[in-house]
This record gives sequence, C-alpha cells and structure tokens, in this order.
Amino acid sequence: MKALTVEMLFELKQKDLALTLLSKKKGLSKEITTPELSRPGLAFAGFTDTYAYDRIQVLGETEVQYLKSLEPSVRYDKIKILFSQFDIPCFVVAKGLFPTKELVFLADEHNIPVIQSRRATVALYHGVSNFLQDWFAPSKSIHGTLVDVFGVGILVTGQSGIGKSECALELVSRGHRLISDDVVHIKKRMNIIMGEANKQLGHFMEIRGIGLLDIETMFGIRSIRMQKRIETQVELIPWRHNMDYERIGLKDRFNRILDIEIPIIYLPVSPGKSIAAIVEVIAMNHMLKVYGHNAAEVFNEKVQKEIERKNKIRTYLETDKE
Amino acid sequence: MITKTVTLINKLGIHVRPASLISKKASKYKSNFMIRKDDMEINGKSVMGIMMLGAGLGTELELFFDGVDEQEMMEEIVELFADKFGEE
Repeated sequence: MKALTVEMLFELKQKDLALTLLSKKKGLSKEITTPELSRPGLAFAGFTDTYAYDRIQVLGETEVQYLKSLEPSVRYDKIKILFSQFDIPCFVVAKGLFPTKELVFLADEHNIPVIQSRRATVALYHGVSNFLQDWFAPSKSIHGTLVDVFGVGILVTGQSGIGKSECALELVSRGHRLISDDVVHIKKRMNIIMGEANKQLGHFMEIRGIGLLDIETMFGIRSIRMQKRIETQVELIPWRHNMDYERIGLKDRFNRILDIEIPIIYLPVSPGKSIAAIVEVIAMNHMLKVYGHNAAEVFNEKVQKEIERKNKIRTYLETDKE
Repeated sequence: MITKTVTLINKLGIHVRPASLISKKASKYKSNFMIRKDDMEINGKSVMGIMMLGAGLGTELELFFDGVDEQEMMEEIVELFADKFGEE
C-alpha cells in the first residue's frame, strides 16, 4: 500500500468533492495514516482526553459556528493550544464555510493544510470516508482464476497445470463470465472480498497447447467482467486413490482470505471429468444454501424421519398382543 | 527456500517471449516458484502472472524458490535473467 499524502487526497478528490485549498501549500506533504475521520468540536471546546488528532478533521456547520461564537482572542488561544499540543494531518471544511481567519493563520503556522469543500457535511464525510476506506483496504494478488457463474463469484485455485484456465474456458464457453485468469487482485471491502481484473492487460488467458487467448474478442463483451465479489473457492486437487473426499457436504469448510472466511470446496480432478459442470453445480448449490436450502440437511432430515417412522411401527407391533 | 533478488537488464523488460521462457523453464521443476514486485506476488510458472508484473528495464524482482529441486531451479532461472533471455 502506498503512503497517502494530503496532496494526493486533494488532487484525486478535488473535482468529485469540489475542493479548494484555503491554507498555503507547504502542509500538503503531510501523510494521512488512518482511514477514520474526526469531528473536533469537543477538542475545540477543551476536552482533549480522547481526541483522535491523527485523523482528518472534518468541520461542519456546528464546529464553524462554535468557533465564530467565541471572542477572537479566546478563539486564537484555544486553537493555538490545540495545534501546539497535537500533530493534526489536515482540516476539511464542509458547505464552503470559512473556518475563521485565526484557524487558517494558525494552521499555516503549524503546516496543517485546510481544505474547503462545497459539499454538504454528510456528503463530504462519506465521500472522504469511502475514499480512505478503499485506499487503506487490505489487498493482495493471489494465484487463481475468478469466474462469475450464475452470478456467484467462484475462485478456482490449485497448483500450476492442474487445469484452472481450462475449467474457466469451459465455463466461459457455457456463457459464464471471466473476471481474471491466473492472477486475481483482491481487496477487502467491509466484510466482503472483491476480486478485480487487471485493468491494463484485459481478459487474456493462457491455455497450454494453444497459447494466449483474447477472451473478450473471442466470446464478446458478455463473457467478461471487471470485478466480482468472491463467494466460494474451489480448490482443484489431483485425484488420489485412497484420499478421504467429502461425500455428504453436511459440514462447510472455510478458507480465510484477508481475514474473511470464504467457503472452500476441495475438488479432485481426473482426466475426462467435466469440472465446469461441477463448478456450475457448486454455484447453484451455493445459491440454494444462501436461500436456506441445504441438500445434505434436507436429505438427513428425511432419513431421520424414516427411521423414526419405522421405530413407531416396530414399537406398535411389539406391544400388539393380538 | 531460497530468495534471490534480480534486476532486469534487458531493454524491453519482461514481454511475452521472456515470460513464456521463464514459465517454461520453471515448469520443468517440482519446486514452487514465486516472483514478487512491490506488493504483487505471482506464480512464476504462469505466463499470465509474469506478464501482469509489467516489469520493465531496471525493475527489481524478488524470486522465491521452494521445494526439492530449488537449487537447480534457482540457478537456471537466475542464469536466464543474466543472459537477458537470449536477447540483444
């Protein structure tokens, strides 16, 4: 993750959030280290015990009106005490308000940038917050292939040469959509994992024996997708004779990706087996589970009911002395 | 596990041909082979992965070899980088 300076935030969000710089430029190199925001009303008023000074400070109508309600000399002293005590990364003022000349003057003295936005406080707060959340979101790239199958994001993983790309190709030719082959950039957003395609290189695939394929040109725009939430992982494993494979599916297994649990299915592959058809079934089964229908549980209940019924008949017959 | 840092010295960087050369050589071995550039880590046996690094002249790459034949694998791959993939 790259370090984020106030200047980068200012330039990237200038248009979107209608930003203007009120202070001098020299503070812009300050680094923003946390995705959280702070409303410093209470800190201005003098309560600084739990002041989150290392966050971006958002000033709304309330804070600005409070500052304006103070005598200029009192205002100057309060702000000065605050600034000399705490190393604040920057101020963002909403609604195009001017946060008094004492604040801007003292901010310049302490190299704290003051940015004005024409957006309303709530819109500004969410705009900055979303940008920061995305910037600071944990991310990495993983080895695997991501396909959207019936709207379910399925991450196919497994060792090199096991057939991930071939599986994805078959899925694409059945009308499903490829997000990325071989390398998937993943990002944590709130409590989901988002997988992204490589924006520069597009949707290419390497199939052993043929070489590179351009999926978008070959199958059309409907066969690709830029990003998709990862909902299930399918790990392809070589078929081995005596290995203990899942036979019922009563217990779900999970894999932690960026600290989020993703259901994982270990799928043994052997020549001549259509993995794509099985992956389609995995996607449908996932949807059924989401809608509350678990095939293994339903079957289990049926078996139990049948056993119960037989027991009842047996006890009846045993007590029947006729 | 062996870790090795290499700097790309061929003019064109890793384009399609070098990428396929690297993955071809790497696939001969049993060991795992990962390449890292900045915060991106990819499997060195995959052509797509290697090309996605977008590594140009002067780029520093970290190579990780892990497995039974890691030593031989490392020697052959590092040689490939030093040889500019047979270019120029």
